[in-house]
Amino acid sequence: MDLDKNKPGTASSRRRYVTTRRLDRIFVELANVYRFNARFFKEVWLPPYEFKEIIRQCYEIGVRSLPLISLTGFIIGIVFTNQSRPSLADFGATSLLPALISVAIIRAIGPLVTALIAAGRVGSAIGAELGSMRVTEQIDAMEVSATNPFKFLVVSRVLATTLMIPALTMFTTLVSLLGGYLNVHQNELTSLSVFFYQVFDAITFLDIIASSVKSVIFGYTIGMVGCYKGYNSSKGTEGVGKAANSSVVTAMFLIFIEELLIMQVINTIRAF
Amino acid sequence: MEAKEINPNIDRNEKVISIRGLKKAFDDFEVLKGVDLDLFKGENLVVLGRSGTGKSVLIKIISGLLQADEGSVNVLGREVGALKPRELDALRLKIGFSFQNSALYDSMTVRENLEFPLIRHAKHMTEAEREDTIQYVLEAVGLLQAINQMPSELSGGQRKRIGIARTLILKPDIMLYDEPTAGLDPITCIEINSLINEVQEKFNTSSIIITHDLTCARAVGDRIVMLLDGQFQREGTFDEVFESNDERVQSFYNYNFID
Amino acid sequence: MSSADNKRTVIVGIFTFLAIVILVAGIFMLAGQQKRLISTVTLTAIFDDVAGLRTGNNVWFSGVKIGTIKSINLYGDSQVEVVMNIEEKVQQYIRKNATARISSESFIGNKNIVIDGGTQSAAPIEDGDRITAVSPLNTDDLMEKLQQNNENLVAITGDFKQLTSRLVKGEGTVGALLTDTTMAQDFRNVVANLQRTTQSTVTASNSLSAFTSKLNSPGGLANQLATDKEVFQQLKNSMTQLEEATASTSEITENLRTASSRLNNSNNAVGVLLNDPKFARQLQSTMQNLETGTEKLDQNMEALQSNFLLRGFFRKQAKEQARQQQNQPAQQPVQPTDTIQFKPSILQKN
Repeated sequence: MDLDKNKPGTASSRRRYVTTRRLDRIFVELANVYRFNARFFKEVWLPPYEFKEIIRQCYEIGVRSLPLISLTGFIIGIVFTNQSRPSLADFGATSLLPALISVAIIRAIGPLVTALIAAGRVGSAIGAELGSMRVTEQIDAMEVSATNPFKFLVVSRVLATTLMIPALTMFTTLVSLLGGYLNVHQNELTSLSVFFYQVFDAITFLDIIASSVKSVIFGYTIGMVGCYKGYNSSKGTEGVGKAANSSVVTAMFLIFIEELLIMQVINTIRAF
Repeated sequence: MEAKEINPNIDRNEKVISIRGLKKAFDDFEVLKGVDLDLFKGENLVVLGRSGTGKSVLIKIISGLLQADEGSVNVLGREVGALKPRELDALRLKIGFSFQNSALYDSMTVRENLEFPLIRHAKHMTEAEREDTIQYVLEAVGLLQAINQMPSELSGGQRKRIGIARTLILKPDIMLYDEPTAGLDPITCIEINSLINEVQEKFNTSSIIITHDLTCARAVGDRIVMLLDGQFQREGTFDEVFESNDERVQSFYNYNFID
Repeated sequence: MSSADNKRTVIVGIFTFLAIVILVAGIFMLAGQQKRLISTVTLTAIFDDVAGLRTGNNVWFSGVKIGTIKSINLYGDSQVEVVMNIEEKVQQYIRKNATARISSESFIGNKNIVIDGGTQSAAPIEDGDRITAVSPLNTDDLMEKLQQNNENLVAITGDFKQLTSRLVKGEGTVGALLTDTTMAQDFRNVVANLQRTTQSTVTASNSLSAFTSKLNSPGGLANQLATDKEVFQQLKNSMTQLEEATASTSEITENLRTASSRLNNSNNAVGVLLNDPKFARQLQSTMQNLETGTEKLDQNMEALQSNFLLRGFFRKQAKEQARQQQNQPAQQPVQPTDTIQFKPSILQKN
């Protein structure tokens, strides 16, 4: 039985497609995405606030992701540094390595890697959890027990990702830089203080601000996509898998698009 | 299988739910084609019908989960379709909804599941009072020992009982059961049936029970209506309904008992 | 379960706190290093051409980074005003007569501005001062210097010819030569002159070669001047020859110096010289070489003149130069020269 309540209309008032059937469906989807986002921004301010659930999600999303994301960040720091060395060595400029990895990690790799891994780990979890809650009528159960499921499930998760992904990005960036330092230290015998001097010499406040803003946007995207896909998943067990899968794919895709757009904006700001 | 003794406390003068001319369609498929229904105070009303005939749609419209296309749905004197979200929530506190798959929150223990509505809607309660209430409803469904278990550790019947306990915890006036015996073994079915009757007595609720299980219908129904082709075809006690010569009613009966 | 919630909350709190610590530490380290909080003074300079300098590029003073470019604005007809932020604490080291020039940070790096500090006698700069901008190269000056050197070389060679012919002429004059201290003095002077000129030619030709290599870089003068690659190559060739010529001249000078020091030496060297016709021949051939060298230099100069890039400078002197060459037709080059013959008619079309 198809019980999707986003599809009003009766036999007596048959819908005519505004464009084509398929195009209409895309626009309806877009409208639903817009409404979902708008609802988040409306409900995030309204009481009651589900603090306990927010904390629980922060714990799940932030703290529980830390080991995985830190490890990945560390390895990427080492690998990236190691692979960048030869091209700088051609110019005899390996002393520029800290500056190079600083710019790469703080501007791009830190936020991006964190977001991508979180999209994989957190996005899929949110999509699957909400999807299965939709399928087993837990979301309906919440609604009929007069608890706003959107607030309890969506707002708390989106808030948690929006807050925790930036925090994770801080850790990833630090740990990646430490990985880079380890590699630079082994090969160029650079001391920690010199390394970090060069790291901070190469970046500006704009870089830190841009990265923070970026990771906030990435976090919001991951939470939003996971929640939207899960919350609106179709009935049936396959709907859960689909929700989890498309959460990851869509979130990653959007993250890259956002990265591209934000880069353009930041470069425009930098030019002034 | 014995038919239920009709509850003597039914007040035929007080309608808790009154539905007139209800229509609902999904895309171009009309599920409910003008349904009229009254639920009297203290009554157990069974809605019989095959899968996909819109039984669940009916109680989802009553609880405001779905919107009716046409017709009026009056619950406890309020027109459900016209309520603002806050008013609807207030009304929902008086309605208990037992879902087909119990719909227990997987990520929470039984205690947290039961606590969930209490924390939000019985804010005046102290922690001790809450604990008492939880114990009381768990005892009512006979599963006090499961209090610290996760839903995944429970059997289907147990989950169903916890689901019913969770809806009872706010002491609703109306209970809506969606396929309470679906997917359960016969003995568990009987247990659930008697639980539904106990709830009716202990908590003095009026109930609508959606089912395609005739055993269940006979065991819990004070009155039975049959949903066929989007409309109620027969109404009365179990025996009255199946006295009909209507082919569809008979095939339904045969399917259940002779198969 | 309540305690589990508590624990979770605390852990989330710690987690968030640490993340904020990392962020704040980063900001503070950055602030400490970026010197954003240090007060600055503003300096301006007017350049004809900033060669791709950009806002935010560095300002160096004695090899130390002391500030950044704040803004770059067009000024007057086609000049460029560059506004620099300079750290206040280095203000005292930069004098009012300091100069600013455009430089490159490294082989592949950004452009920057280098400030040369001026003289101690001048007062330190003040906020908003305008300091003199120095253009990186002045072609006209360079060419004039080369021309002068060339003429000097010709004159010196003439002197030498006289001197050596007297030296070689026969035994009778040798005694006279040896006793003639004026003659020895003359000889020394000539050598000294030659040395000076050669040195300055070296400098000039080095500058010129730097100039041409600069022309080579894309986006520079080359675009305006030498879209024609051929002309460019010619200019480069002339430079190479000029350098070669200068090198051989300086070699010759070195020979001469040795000769003259031996001439002046009152010890056994005199005897050696007297009895050694070989030395005389050597001296003569040295002179010949010198002549050839000078001639080559001359030809190179000519080549440079006909190069359209430098035509403007030489135009006035072209006729005179031609006349001079007609007046000295007897000179025969010992070696064939490999100077490329230019075709002024073609070049003039450009």
